[in-house]
Amino acid sequence: MTNEWLPHAILRAASLLAPGDRRAEWVREWRSELWYIPSHGATQFCLGAFQDAIWVRRNHTRALKGGGLHLESPICCLAFLAVLAAVSLVIAVHLPPPNLPNMPRHLQVRDLPGGCGAMALLSCLMLPVIRLVMGRAPACFHAVHWPNRVRGGIFLALKIALVHPIMLCSFLVGISIAPVLPFVQLGICATWVLAFRWVLTDQRRRCPVCLRLLTDPLRIGAASQTLLEWYGAESVCARGHGMLHSAEIPSSYSDYPQWHRLDDSWQGLFPEGAGRR
Amino acid sequence: MADAPRLSHTSAMILQAVATDHIYGYAVIAVTGLPSGTVYPALRRLEKDELIRSKWEQQSTAEAALRPPRKYYSLTPSGEGALEISRKRYPLLAKLAPMEEVEDV
Repeated sequence: MTNEWLPHAILRAASLLAPGDRRAEWVREWRSELWYIPSHGATQFCLGAFQDAIWVRRNHTRALKGGGLHLESPICCLAFLAVLAAVSLVIAVHLPPPNLPNMPRHLQVRDLPGGCGAMALLSCLMLPVIRLVMGRAPACFHAVHWPNRVRGGIFLALKIALVHPIMLCSFLVGISIAPVLPFVQLGICATWVLAFRWVLTDQRRRCPVCLRLLTDPLRIGAASQTLLEWYGAESVCARGHGMLHSAEIPSSYSDYPQWHRLDDSWQGLFPEGAGRR
Repeated sequence: MADAPRLSHTSAMILQAVATDHIYGYAVIAVTGLPSGTVYPALRRLEKDELIRSKWEQQSTAEAALRPPRKYYSLTPSGEGALEISRKRYPLLAKLAPMEEVEDV
């Protein structure tokens, strides 16, 4: 009896992830299926609704032009970061001076390069550690041409550079509210780690050729039912340059993500054609 | 042949299930043993790729049977082609739900 409400509550919670204009049909579909599920398996069945709702949202957002935040393109990503960095610098300059003996005045514009430089030094220490913790970057079975590699490197460097003003702003906000809130230092460190982690994760989720975010993630296989077979997730470049295979369970033959280039036989499936390097 | 999409094993299993008369989500889950969180997004992806199509059951038919209407899936011609290629790539697919047995039923 107590379990009867649980599947419906799970569906209700998962429906919040589905896009608003498709939510009613999405809920209708899941409720209709739930009606046929034996009660002992209903909760487990409904847990899958979260993955489905995320899939619907991810694909729906991409289909809507002009709505939401689109960071698929590298230009959009850099523009977004540049706006955030500019806003962060404005906030940093206008923050009230912290109540510290060695910092008795407002941060001024001429102080910004020094502040960002300090953040750059910090990032030199933190980035290698975070990168080590995150594991190896995706391996490419086929060599990526050097112009694409250079472009990828420049893109990563620009992202890191644009994150520094945001980090500086978070640091200044942190020390401003430190007297009021305890453990702010931990919060600042967590923000920095998350920012760097996002920079690296975002880079790994991009196509090494066009630098666009990979789309259409699909889980392949199941841990409990796959014997000696690859199990993980597969994402594809929307322009058909390749696919990223990320193993869920590291094994001797798939312990890190692998990038597979798509050859020209895939050309018909993508608007711009596969195989262009 | 070169234009035919190459499907992952999971997608091929689901396509095979739909082809063998497991035409709604729960039936696909039951026959493949895949979790719901894999099957429903995969069905949507296959539909987006125009390998399957979906259709809601008539409200009147469902009401007559005192149950909610279901969403039924069927293969498109390109889905049939993709499945044919996948059967060659994954020969064990036939064991999932052999076509002959289903046709005999």
